[in-house]
Amino acid sequence: MMDAISISKARLRFGQTIALDDVSLAIPQGTCFGIVGESGSGKTTLMRAILGLQKLDQGDVCILGMPLSHSRAALKKRARVLQPIFQDPAASLSPRSRIRTLMGEVATVLNEPLAVTYERLGVILNRLGLPKGILDKYPHEISGGQARRVAIARALLMKPSILIADEPTAGLDVSVQGDLLNLLQDIRQLENMTLVVISHNLAVVRLIAENAVVMRAGKAVESGDVASMFQSPRDAYTRELLSAWPRLRVE
Amino acid sequence: MAISVRNLSVDYNLSHVTAHALRDISLEIGKGEILGLVGESGSGKSTVAFALMGLLANNAKVTSGTATIGGRSYDLTRRDATAPLRGRGMAMIFQDPMLSLNPVFTVGTQLCEVLRRRLPGGDRKAHVAMAEEALAKVKLSDPKRRMGQYPHELSGGMRQRVVIAMALLSEPVLLIADEPTTALDVTVEAQIMREIVSLRDRIGCAVLLITHSLGLVTEYCDRISVLYAGERLEHGTVKQVQQQPGHPYTRMLFDCEVAIDRQRAVNVTENRFTVIPGELPDPFRRPSGCIFNGRCDVSFDACATTVPDEFAVGDAADHGARCLLLAGS
Ligand SMILES: Nc1ncnc2c1ncn2[C@@H]1O[C@H](COP(=O)(O)OP(=O)(O)O)[C@@H](O)[C@H]1O
Ligand SMILES: Nc1ncnc2c1ncn2[C@@H]1O[C@H](COP(=O)(O)OP(=O)(O)O)[C@@H](O)[C@H]1O
Ligand SMILES: [Mg+2]
Ligand SMILES: [Mg+2]
Repeated sequence: MMDAISISKARLRFGQTIALDDVSLAIPQGTCFGIVGESGSGKTTLMRAILGLQKLDQGDVCILGMPLSHSRAALKKRARVLQPIFQDPAASLSPRSRIRTLMGEVATVLNEPLAVTYERLGVILNRLGLPKGILDKYPHEISGGQARRVAIARALLMKPSILIADEPTAGLDVSVQGDLLNLLQDIRQLENMTLVVISHNLAVVRLIAENAVVMRAGKAVESGDVASMFQSPRDAYTRELLSAWPRLRVE
Repeated sequence: MAISVRNLSVDYNLSHVTAHALRDISLEIGKGEILGLVGESGSGKSTVAFALMGLLANNAKVTSGTATIGGRSYDLTRRDATAPLRGRGMAMIFQDPMLSLNPVFTVGTQLCEVLRRRLPGGDRKAHVAMAEEALAKVKLSDPKRRMGQYPHELSGGMRQRVVIAMALLSEPVLLIADEPTTALDVTVEAQIMREIVSLRDRIGCAVLLITHSLGLVTEYCDRISVLYAGERLEHGTVKQVQQQPGHPYTRMLFDCEVAIDRQRAVNVTENRFTVIPGELPDPFRRPSGCIFNGRCDVSFDACATTVPDEFAVGDAADHGARCLLLAGS
């Protein structure tokens, strides 16, 4: 099967900082893929490169077998395949527009009658447990957990085949986190979507992802199927990450 | 010497309404013990810390509460009740180390200031030596160079180490750490927690660790108190509470934790996360009965009307929970 995303030999520097150092990986269609690693290891940069928001110094990114192009037209077309959920969802929502306006834009992008978009939106809001009244609010009027859901709703409204989420549960309480992750898993299965999750939470990645990559200082230090990676990590840094994770010990 | 907080209640006044953020919270921490105070965000954990430190917002009012620290009692309803303890006797580590650090002074200046307050009249050279030693104790590389650096030249983990060094130098009776590692990577989190434990070992102080991570509590704490919507629902040793949670909320919180050794099931539908359905109650109008009623999976009629007293869980005197299911058991 074709890969949803494939990256080969990606390299990128910001001045002295090597943000991506020869990163290669392949994400099979319809699977969940985890990207883990400490802050500054290059996870968000990798996501921006996949989205075409960040040019690489060297290397290639392919989405569904097609090489990434940086033209405006290509960026627009790609939005229908690949949707991001950024780490700070409130910041990625325009502060001056009501959430209804934000959602309405999708009709224009998809060239779809507004009524059809709103009908699909109704279903999505329902599934996300968001009240319809939220559409009349401005981004600053809603809670952090709700802003994340709104960002997810907007992404899903675009009918993407690939969803890529940067730390979707950071800062959420464990119960709220679980709720959101259950939801993402449900949607992924129902829509047969490819889901890429950037997370520093190893326990979460172990449970939701089939495959994962561990990043450190711009390098992909270890990658492969999650079960064997967690059972017998080959890389010293992966082992360090795993052993640092607080355990719920029961004597 | 043990630390105790009795019947702490705090209100936040908003223009037309009053939010009851804490209702009759009591805590006790033995000398050299680490108490983990857990609860969802908004449950009132930071309000406990701020009430003790005298750092509450202007619209806050302590309506009841006394603290016993270092053998003396403090009436927390009085503003600045614990002012004499700030910086000597009581120290605090925030999630954001910059709240404890001054960006315009070097690390060395700030560490020496702590010593100048604790040991007035001391010799500057001796203070510099002690400060450098403290930096070495919290395993900051190259302490001499760090002394001359400004906070912005350090990483988040290094800054938190500087704050721990400051706490170490102030030799507190009580150290309060409010989500000290939440902003840090997991490997740095483990190192910082080890530094807090070793600070406790060195000076034998009591530690109040505020966190929403049960993993940290079970790994590092001796005792645990569970806060929900401003009320303490359970307290006991970590072992007691983990083995036999007395309150359904505690049990559900533990069930939500994702263990690192939980294996992914081949059948994708089995990889579910446990959640606690429902939402926190309205902070402006406390519902009648048990505060957790409505989200509880084992509640019965009386839970909607009777506010539960605290009952002993099992036969341990120091393990209690506020659940009607424990009445008469
Ligand atoms: N626009 C930028 N300009 C300069 N440096 C950057 C920029 N974006 C990221 N970096 C640097 O690249 C490295 C990787 O950053 P990032 O991808 O954000 O890491 P992560 O998401 O894993 O925390 C870091 O050292 C970061 O400081
Ligand atoms: N200055 C304030 N004014 C009004 N409400 C406040 C203020 N500070 C905190 N609160 C409210 O008090 C409750 C407890 O807050 P907090 O102690 O910060 O909880 P936690 O630290 O457990 O997340 C929350 O509902 C919060 O919104
Ligand atoms: Mg990032
Ligand atoms: Mg707090």
